[in-house]
Amino acid sequence: MLLSIVILIPLLGAWLPTALSRALGVDPARTAAALAATSLALILSQAPDVLAGATLVSGWSWIPTAGLNATFRLDGFGLLFALLILGIGLLVILYARYYLSPEESKERFYGLLLLFMGAMLGVVLAENLLLLVTFWELTSLSSFLLIGFWRHDADARRGARLALMVTGAGGLALLAGVLLIGHVVGSFELSRVLAAGPVIKAHPLYETMLVLVLLGAFTKSAQFPFHFWLPHAMAAPTPVSAYLHSATMVKAGIFLLGRLFPAFAGTETWFYIVSGVGLTTQLFAAYVALFRHDLKGLLAYSTVSHLGLITLLFGFGTPAGAVAAVFHTINHAVFKASLFMAAGIVDHETGTRDMRRLSGLARFMPWTAALATIAAGAMAGVPLLNGFLSKEMFFAETLQVQWLGSRYWVLPLAATLASVFTVAYSTRFVHDVFFGPPPQGLARVPHEPPRWMKVPVEILVGLCLLVGLLPALIVDPLLRAAGGAVLQGPLPEYSLALWHGFNLPVLMSGVALTGGAIIYFARRYYFGLHGYRQQRYDGRTLAEGLVALAVAGSRRLVDGVANASLQRYVLLLLLATLGVGLVGARGLSLAPIAALTPPDALAVALTAALAIAAIAATALHTQRLLALVLIGVVGLVVSLVFVRFSAPDLALTQLLVEIVTVLLLLLALYFMPAESPRESSRFRRVRDTMVAVAVGLGAGLLAWALLTRPFSTIAWYYLEHAKPQGGGYNVVNVILVDFRGFDTLGEITVLGIAAVAILALLQELRLVAPQRDWDGRPWAVERHPLMLRVLARPLLPLALLVSVYLFLRGHNAPGGGFIAGLVTGTAILLQYVAYGSDWARERLPWNYSTAIALGLLLATATGLASWAFGAPFLTSTFGYLHWPVVGEFELASAMVFDLGIYVVVVGVVMVIVGRLGALSGSGGRGT
Amino acid sequence: MNHLPIVPILLPLIAGSVLLLSTRWPATARHAFSLAAVVAQLAVAITLLVMVTDGPIRVYALGGWAPPFGIVLVVDRLAAALLVLTAIVACASLLYAVARDTEAAAPRFHALFQFQLLGIQGAFLTGDLFNLFVFFEVLLIASYALLLHGLAADRVRAALHVVVLNLIGSALFLLGVALIYGVAGTLNFADLARVIPALTSADAPLARIGALLLLVVFALKSALLPLGFWLPRAYGAAAAAVAALFAVLTKVGVYAVLRVYPLAFGPQAGELANVAEPWLLPLALATLAFGALGVLAARSLRLAAGWVVLYSVGSLLVAVALFSADGYAAAIYYTVHSTLASAALFLVVDLVAADRTTAGDRLDAADAMPHGALLGSFFFFTAVAVAGVPPLSGFVGKVLILDAAGAHPAAALIWSSLLGAALVVIVAFARAGSAVFWRTVPAPAGAPPPPRPSLAALAAPAAILGCVAALVIWGGSATAFAQAAARDLDNPAGYIEAVLGGDHAQPDDRRRLR
Amino acid sequence: MLNHAIDIAFGLLGLAVVFTLIRLALGPDMLDRVLALDTLYVNSAAMLVLYGLELGTGRYYEAALLIAMLGFVTTVVLSKYITRGDVIE
Repeated sequence: MLLSIVILIPLLGAWLPTALSRALGVDPARTAAALAATSLALILSQAPDVLAGATLVSGWSWIPTAGLNATFRLDGFGLLFALLILGIGLLVILYARYYLSPEESKERFYGLLLLFMGAMLGVVLAENLLLLVTFWELTSLSSFLLIGFWRHDADARRGARLALMVTGAGGLALLAGVLLIGHVVGSFELSRVLAAGPVIKAHPLYETMLVLVLLGAFTKSAQFPFHFWLPHAMAAPTPVSAYLHSATMVKAGIFLLGRLFPAFAGTETWFYIVSGVGLTTQLFAAYVALFRHDLKGLLAYSTVSHLGLITLLFGFGTPAGAVAAVFHTINHAVFKASLFMAAGIVDHETGTRDMRRLSGLARFMPWTAALATIAAGAMAGVPLLNGFLSKEMFFAETLQVQWLGSRYWVLPLAATLASVFTVAYSTRFVHDVFFGPPPQGLARVPHEPPRWMKVPVEILVGLCLLVGLLPALIVDPLLRAAGGAVLQGPLPEYSLALWHGFNLPVLMSGVALTGGAIIYFARRYYFGLHGYRQQRYDGRTLAEGLVALAVAGSRRLVDGVANASLQRYVLLLLLATLGVGLVGARGLSLAPIAALTPPDALAVALTAALAIAAIAATALHTQRLLALVLIGVVGLVVSLVFVRFSAPDLALTQLLVEIVTVLLLLLALYFMPAESPRESSRFRRVRDTMVAVAVGLGAGLLAWALLTRPFSTIAWYYLEHAKPQGGGYNVVNVILVDFRGFDTLGEITVLGIAAVAILALLQELRLVAPQRDWDGRPWAVERHPLMLRVLARPLLPLALLVSVYLFLRGHNAPGGGFIAGLVTGTAILLQYVAYGSDWARERLPWNYSTAIALGLLLATATGLASWAFGAPFLTSTFGYLHWPVVGEFELASAMVFDLGIYVVVVGVVMVIVGRLGALSGSGGRGT
Repeated sequence: MNHLPIVPILLPLIAGSVLLLSTRWPATARHAFSLAAVVAQLAVAITLLVMVTDGPIRVYALGGWAPPFGIVLVVDRLAAALLVLTAIVACASLLYAVARDTEAAAPRFHALFQFQLLGIQGAFLTGDLFNLFVFFEVLLIASYALLLHGLAADRVRAALHVVVLNLIGSALFLLGVALIYGVAGTLNFADLARVIPALTSADAPLARIGALLLLVVFALKSALLPLGFWLPRAYGAAAAAVAALFAVLTKVGVYAVLRVYPLAFGPQAGELANVAEPWLLPLALATLAFGALGVLAARSLRLAAGWVVLYSVGSLLVAVALFSADGYAAAIYYTVHSTLASAALFLVVDLVAADRTTAGDRLDAADAMPHGALLGSFFFFTAVAVAGVPPLSGFVGKVLILDAAGAHPAAALIWSSLLGAALVVIVAFARAGSAVFWRTVPAPAGAPPPPRPSLAALAAPAAILGCVAALVIWGGSATAFAQAAARDLDNPAGYIEAVLGGDHAQPDDRRRLR
Repeated sequence: MLNHAIDIAFGLLGLAVVFTLIRLALGPDMLDRVLALDTLYVNSAAMLVLYGLELGTGRYYEAALLIAMLGFVTTVVLSKYITRGDVIE
């Protein structure tokens, strides 16, 4: 519980600096410091137990399905990192208060810094590996935001993206590795994982897991070949560089190596990969660091190099190596943070970080110079400073490695060489900046920074000295606890004494110090170090090139494939259909199983007419009017086919729908060219024809296969129950309004929505009407011919009568609300045609969409009425009524539902007719 | 008689119809009524969720006709969860629409919005194949009308694509339903699950073609490649509130796959066992990859959001394609997450576009946004959710999918595709975010700065993001629920028993018709 | 007797349908086609009546009635389109 609070204080408190600053005017730095100090105090309260060797594990189950639990762990290793994070964090908070200029948003800065602090604490205090990954990614995100803090600077933006890309990719690899670990161990809890070392190392997936986890660690800790993001991350404000990119976040990879040391280390694979990468990184980066002219660039490569050193130490896989690694981690964090702060002070006071322009600053800021010199000495491994001790341990370890056999000398030699470069660039850092002649051409005269800006540096440098002089007193308890936690076993023998006698490591140190000094001065004076031009290509060029290539490539791909061509999408859909059809048809037999009705002349004739008309309509589709007439023929023939096969309901519906469709299309046709141009190429026409024919043929074959076999369905139920329980002889109608009335309710809603959609589509549309017809003839003069008007008027009452008749008998004979509605709609449409829109509107002055709404509500209300009788929605009832004259008459609740359908259908036809009729209304032509 | 299962259908139907009558109402009354309707739907959905979380599956036989003869509505855990999800997204999008006053352009917006909900919720509730077709039609035609809303040229074009493709899809759906009914003789899901395994080898191919045709239709709805290319442009062109609601729309296709295939064409289905399996996984992986590349390739934020939908559908269908209880659980959790995240993204992108006077949502350098800090944090959280980066629910969902795929023969391919695509999306969003929020040029003098987004407009994405956070904070309960729902899917006996068992009529006396 | 008459009538109507279809195909003018379609409707209505006679049921008279009405409306609308272009003014 306590550990989660330690993490949550900075994490959830990230918005506090902003809030308190806005509301009460509190300095955001104070808020941040208070939060960090609280967390630090809480951690320190646990320190005695942990230093005594205890491992505190606490937490609760969070998402057990995913294996993600909110469990935390505080052991020596975690304590060490937590102290670094919070301690250096506090110093950075103090330092940044003076570093940032007044116009920069301190609120945002401290908020992000706290966010990072919480995330980093989460990484080092997590017991659950998935939780660790969670916080791991959060550190990448907060680092992204912090590097991009100076958003106007293009380098900052690029550096931020680069860092996120590299560390994000590593995080994903780590996630995969952790999931595999969980799969192998059966738990994500560190306690179980650390105890399962032998299982993991013996597992066939060991190499895979190792590589994935190492990818995560190496990207985060900027190991070769993923190191290139770190120098570019230096575009961040210097406090960020000091904190994230040298002391803490880049140590997360190191932390992971140490954390998983018992589970993974000690195999040959581990040695070759980890120490190989570490050694390469250390050597390469130390060499490159010498050639950086930018102070922070030098420090960045130096950081990379030291991280390589630590990695190399872990790579040895020996307990003593691990302890040395832990020790150097502490020392590096302390001296490197102070060096970054010193570099920041120089930048702050002189306005430049270019060592070619800086010189002799010691006379302007002697105190800062002294501090920086001591810290650089620690970095170089000068005796009496902390760096010397860990470096001695490092040298000693390189001599102990067993894996290389007869080539045992390679490691000590390489280590010494790397140290030579380390000494050389450390010397350069101090000498170029603080010594020599006074600087030329600086914007202002430099002087010592504000008092409190130096305090953090002083504290850190003091630590360098104290650890260097009194290691056993200052650092040994912590190192012991941390080392024990890393090893999960007994500590090796080691000594933190200042002097072990004259031995090989001391000799190596001596060679490094002398050699480094020689190289620096030789380079400086004989090879023109300052004239060295940085290479223009590095990892960023490659990574950004890759991204640019990926963007360009995916643009080509996406624009090429998803090209917004409806033709292509339809083609794909049809090809997919054909594909599944062909695959699915495996084993399909087309031989008829059921006895077939022998064909008669009428059926053959109808089928032939249907086929010819349908093909003609398709083939002649460019002549729109003709195609429309042919579609009318198709509709007519289809309904005749329905009649022939005793489906009068279907026939009527088909006929009416067909006619109404044709009429409505005619309304639209007026505004379109009479012929649509042929746009497709010959190839496409052939291809499309083939696809269309294949799909049509497929559908036909399926229908054939289905209809030529006996089938058993639930239809008998409808036939049997339509009259006794549905109250109607017309089974089709009873299905529509009762058995499956709910479907019908949905379908009339579709109709209604379609009408509303047409209203929306044609809302403000006013089209220009053509002045002449397709042959160039002027239109006839008479708008509403007398004959038509005379004939149309009596048709309306007649049609209404037919509608009522069809509606009322619908439950027992062909008819029903849908058909009746279409008949009424057609008759009203004729009035519009004969008398014009204005005339009809005057006589039917309603808002037609109201009819749709009312019809829907009526149908719904019918369904709801059954609730009153405790029955489910749409439960029907019926009864018989004896009317005078008419005789016995059936009333069914389903008829009210049918009435709703009727009203909706009429409303829909009216909406469309009214809307299309108004299209050319005002802006049209003269008579 | 408990009528609650049908209320999520009746509420939007009645509300939509009443709103059609509301042309003369004052705008505020219309807003209030519409909002009240969606809030009521949320309340009902939550009640249903509570009811089925620990209780039995609820079955509602319409018209009192016993299944399989009548239509039934079935509320199980999956359906209830998706109802709540729909209602949440609907509340947020409607609030946003009202706050940004996009409604002014089309007076019938509210009615169409309700009808869209009718289609979605009906599809989630129905237990009948043909009824599913009906609700697909409802949601198609409503989405067409909503997409048109505003009538910009790109919207009309996108809407045409949507409607033409989906009408073809409807025809295929009918063909598939006809084939299945022709051989199985029933349309009820549960009844199909009983009949399909017993099909003779002569009938099986027809049912197989039917099942695969349905898969094509569902793939079209859920924008599975190669049928999903239309989606990004269409969603990118839609009004923000509409696009946010559309984030649910693709999930209807996914839901249909989850509902139909494990139940009726699962491992127990005899000759038709696992009929969808060989198709789904490769296509889902392709969708995932292509979606991620689309996000990277997008030149505007809206288009990127459109591709995000494709990317998340890909991830989601990978989980479905595992056809295992763990896979279903991951899919269910990820569905909820990705719907919320995409919906939030559409809203946030719209707010961002409105705050950039010159560039809109294009990824070009433009003058600094007056409310960049505020909208930047919204965008950041949304991007984190969408990209599946910790600590938001996308990460949990991804872990669940990876976990579920661990035992699959193609695990290595699935893992690398999922993680690789995630990286591409992270890079894409880092690029987009830094281009929009960081790379700024001085504002042109004299232009009035855009107004601060209203509190209500901010509340809409904030509420969705709150749900995303809740999905993590109470992740234990959420995943446990997803697992329970997944077990129901994996073991369909409970569903069949709930629909057909007990005192319902037995359809065993199916009769030969010819 | 009646059966023969019906058969003959069916044959003649079938012939008429074929002729109208030919006219529909050949044109040459749109006017000819509209008239052909109208005739097709009339013939269909007649066929339905005949069919009803053959089966001895009155059910098809209504269908014939509706076809007649719809044929009329179709012809009117097509004619309006040809003369004025705008069907509803």
